[in-house]
Amino acid sequence: MPEKALEIRGLLKAFGRNQVLKGIDLSLESGTVTVLMGANGAGKSTLVKVICGHHRADGGDLMLAGRPFSPADASDAISKGVVTVHQSIDDGVIPELDVANNLMLDRLVETGSGFFVHEGKLRKEAQKVAASMGIDVDLKARVADLSVADRQMIAIARAMARAPKVLILDEPTSSLSAAEANRLFALIDRLRDQGVAILYISHRLSDIRRVADRILCMRDGSISGVFETQPLDYEAAVTAMLGHRMTEVDISVEKGGAPVLELDGIRLSTDGNRFDLSARDGEVIALVGLLGSGKSRLAETIYGMARLEGGEMRIDGKPFRPASVHDAIAHGVFMSPKDRGSNAVIPAFDIANNMTLPFLSRFSAGSFLQSRRLRSRSREMNERLGVVCQSETDGIGTLSGGNQQKVMIARWLMEPCRVLLLDEPFQGVDIGARRDIGRQIRASARGRATLVFMTEIDEALEIADRIVVMTEGTIAGEHINENIDLAALVSDISGTEAGLAGHSA
Amino acid sequence: MLRRNFIALAGAATMALGGLPAMASDMPAPFDKPEDVTIALVRYLSTGDFFQAYLSGVESQAAALGVELRVFDSRQDAALQADMVDQAIALGVDGIVIQHGLTESMKEAAQRAVDAGIKVVAFDVNVENEAIPQIEQSDYLLGKMALDQALEDNGNAFTAGYVYVPGIAPLDRRHVAWEEVKAANPSITEAAQFGTLDNPIANSIANQARAVLQANPTINVVFAPYDEFAKGVKIAVDEAGLTDDIDIYSADVSTADISAMREPGSAWVATVATNPAVVGEASVRALALMLAGEDPGASVIVPPTLITQSFLNEQDIKNMDDLGEKMPQFRHADVAMSDWMPLPPR
Amino acid sequence: MNDRILDFAIKYGFLILLVGLVIYFSLSAPGFSSPRSAVFVLQSVAITGILALGVTCTLVVDGFDLSIGAVATSALMLSAYSMVILEQPAFVAVLLCLLIGAFVGLINGLLIVKFRVPDLLATLGMMFLLIGLQRIPTQGNSIATGMSLGNGVVAEGTFSQAFLWIGRHRFDFFVERLVPMPVVIFLVIAVLIWLFLGFTRHGRLMYAIGSNERAAGLVGAPVNTYKVVAYMISGVTASIGGILLAARLGRGDIASGNNLLLDSVAAALIGFAVLGAARPNAFGTAIGALFVGILLQGMTMMNAPYYTQDFVKGAVLVAALVFTFYLSSRRTGAGH
Repeated sequence: MPEKALEIRGLLKAFGRNQVLKGIDLSLESGTVTVLMGANGAGKSTLVKVICGHHRADGGDLMLAGRPFSPADASDAISKGVVTVHQSIDDGVIPELDVANNLMLDRLVETGSGFFVHEGKLRKEAQKVAASMGIDVDLKARVADLSVADRQMIAIARAMARAPKVLILDEPTSSLSAAEANRLFALIDRLRDQGVAILYISHRLSDIRRVADRILCMRDGSISGVFETQPLDYEAAVTAMLGHRMTEVDISVEKGGAPVLELDGIRLSTDGNRFDLSARDGEVIALVGLLGSGKSRLAETIYGMARLEGGEMRIDGKPFRPASVHDAIAHGVFMSPKDRGSNAVIPAFDIANNMTLPFLSRFSAGSFLQSRRLRSRSREMNERLGVVCQSETDGIGTLSGGNQQKVMIARWLMEPCRVLLLDEPFQGVDIGARRDIGRQIRASARGRATLVFMTEIDEALEIADRIVVMTEGTIAGEHINENIDLAALVSDISGTEAGLAGHSA
Repeated sequence: MLRRNFIALAGAATMALGGLPAMASDMPAPFDKPEDVTIALVRYLSTGDFFQAYLSGVESQAAALGVELRVFDSRQDAALQADMVDQAIALGVDGIVIQHGLTESMKEAAQRAVDAGIKVVAFDVNVENEAIPQIEQSDYLLGKMALDQALEDNGNAFTAGYVYVPGIAPLDRRHVAWEEVKAANPSITEAAQFGTLDNPIANSIANQARAVLQANPTINVVFAPYDEFAKGVKIAVDEAGLTDDIDIYSADVSTADISAMREPGSAWVATVATNPAVVGEASVRALALMLAGEDPGASVIVPPTLITQSFLNEQDIKNMDDLGEKMPQFRHADVAMSDWMPLPPR
Repeated sequence: MNDRILDFAIKYGFLILLVGLVIYFSLSAPGFSSPRSAVFVLQSVAITGILALGVTCTLVVDGFDLSIGAVATSALMLSAYSMVILEQPAFVAVLLCLLIGAFVGLINGLLIVKFRVPDLLATLGMMFLLIGLQRIPTQGNSIATGMSLGNGVVAEGTFSQAFLWIGRHRFDFFVERLVPMPVVIFLVIAVLIWLFLGFTRHGRLMYAIGSNERAAGLVGAPVNTYKVVAYMISGVTASIGGILLAARLGRGDIASGNNLLLDSVAAALIGFAVLGAARPNAFGTAIGALFVGILLQGMTMMNAPYYTQDFVKGAVLVAALVFTFYLSSRRTGAGH
């Protein structure tokens, strides 16, 4: 009977009005790898941050090896035996220091460790740690000069230097090659044998099949599925993660007019697969795919942020190869980027100024802004999208996530365009706002081609005429949003290969 | 070290023969072979006209002697300046001129140089060492002579504005003269005291002076014993249109000061100055005397000269060179002299 | 209710303090409340104010320009050099200074956007470079008419009357010969920068870049161009400050310009607190400069020694920063 290393009951966490974790129950057993799957915004990161002491839980119990556990901060969690390796590797290592110092870093911050660094002793202990983990790199090398995989290994080894009870790995393979990933899996096997409880966060099915003893799926802040009987049902896990309950939105599918945006044999990376796509006037296309499927890269390529690595793009039949964002906008291609907080919102500005930012020249005489026109136009857009606010001069920071996103979408609906790209438009948006935005996008779709990039199937079902599935930098399947075959869609998303392998496993 | 002492002795012996014309071959040792003599100038302050002119004096006197000069510039870093003295010792120089610095940091470094058998003179810094003569421009006299002129021009009853920033050694010494004159002439009223060393000093002083003149319209004399102060006050007086009502007395002089004093209707009526180049020359001469085994005395005071606006106008003096020409006591101070001592070419 | 009071304090606190100061000094320092005195205050802040307006532009794009003081003193030396030694007319001197200012700004901007040197470091390097450079042509001497150029040659050129006019002319304004030229230039530049930052689309985009550079880039704003322009504006205004300084002093005075830098940065930062803007703005900067000027003028009139003035400047700055960063953040927090 495996010992319960970490047990969580009824965990609650909210940020402002946004309830992120809605009563999570989960347990991790010693010597077991538990995979946690969840789409963007499901609350995985928040869950991890509560466990590793970055956030405080609002409610619920955490028990570590049978004793109550409420870490005050990250270093408290570590000292109690819960160690986390974060998604971004460079959070886990100090690039400017050498390998030995990195491995011993946590010892250095321990209170009670001596004031002076004993160089020789430090190196000897580092050597021991490296050997026990099977790491074979020069201890004197600067971490910044190592490969991503080596850095990853060092981040994990650093974590292991503390002999943890629970190890959390947050998307550890997201930047590793296949060979490098195999080294990581070997390390995970070794740790499992040592009796560490491992929580492995990923939605790469190939990884999951390799390491998982059991699978937890998270969706919308709750656990939506637990799979622990062998053989594990990967297909069901993906379904539980993505969800595809039928939506209340009725879509009357629009076939579209003349092609507006044509992608002809393009590829997104130098060794990527070529694919074609044609988006027609009045059509709304959802491009769905998991993280790393290449859909963001496609959006960036069309918007002039990334270089087209092969093939041809055409708008209205004319070749289109944007040199910059500015150029793309000049050709009538608009994009509302994902992660509005870092990519779209100007926190210092009010609603009106945020909304009109791309089109200031249309609200100015000479160079001078006509603020009355600017404000009245933004008031109009507020009404159209139903932005809940006191006036258009409210600071953008005073709005809820959904209303902020409405402003960001309104920004690009204000002027007519040929191609509208929306990257994760429903990220961090409540259901009501999501419906408002979806309705506006569909209502205004005539006169342009609309491409919506998203992870969640039910969001795609709510908005799209056509759903195009992307995996590994290319198109894996296409479905007209009418009597759609969800099973086929889900298997496209989880990757044909992985999906099939999942069945046979 | 032994060698150096020997040379000094030999120098003294040669001197005893005495009275020979000042030609290189007839110079006392070690100056009979001046190319073998190296002296160092170790500076604390270097930015500004005064220090630039001082350096040129040191350079020209060193050139006249034919000795090699090494300049160490610590740019107001007291610790670095002490290190530089040690550097000079390590280089095996024969003599060192210490120019400004802090007593605390220079005292021990200077002692180390003396212990190493090196001759040392100090300009404007007290290193508390009997073996080291002090070169001074008398700041007290600078202040005193300017104030004497003010008393002569305005009688012993006037309302004064005084520019002063305490804690700066030369200004503190000039301040002594002001306190004395005030005590001796109770009818002098000090209506306001102000001052700042914020860069650019003249501009900052001008801003302050204007406020002061506005608040104290009775001021008719301003004692600004530093030329940057005087320049600032003059700007304020000009801007306030009070050129006829106020007289400025100051210390120090430069080409720019001369043209400011000579502007039509300038309120800047007199300054008292020691030529910094002359001080530089005297510093090197005092050091040369010591190297030749003579005694320049415990302190070498370079006397200041009174320069009035009317004198400048009468003689049509445009710059420092003119001033030296028309006022010989400004070009050369007869201190730290000896028969054999070569002087820079004029 | 408490929120209202807080809002009011944040918005008008500094202006009320300013009025309070004026009243206090008028009562306790005779001669403070006269048109002449008011103009004196303006004149004493004109040069640092102009520099501060330039630095405000770099603050708007979330940058910083440490080289403004050195640019000003370089312009001071350059104008003196071109008139006294090269014997050029006033307009050539002015033109040269403005060009140098723009050029230094361009280099600063390119170092920052092309070579990815952090703004503080790039402009710090530029500061040292200029402080040294401006002294090289004259071997560290100040420049004045009649200075010896070696070999018995004497500099014959003079500061032309036209040039001195820029720094010293006074316009009649109710009182005869009241308003000095630098004050007029300061006010003109203040209005121009105020209009540019607050009311043109370029200013709006610069604020957007300062607030979220990435987002501004993704709406198609030429982020790098605007950043470079901000540093060029800063360089040009700093060189205007240097020209005025030269015209006021009437000579090319060796000075480090450090105090010019610190005073103008202080004015720009105090400006954050004016009207609760909590961000760089031209109106605030001008008021900030004025605030410091009034304080110093009043204290000088009351015979306060120079070191208390630095102390008071520091205290005002700290208070302004508390206003900006603590109270304003509490206010937006409450608005949630």
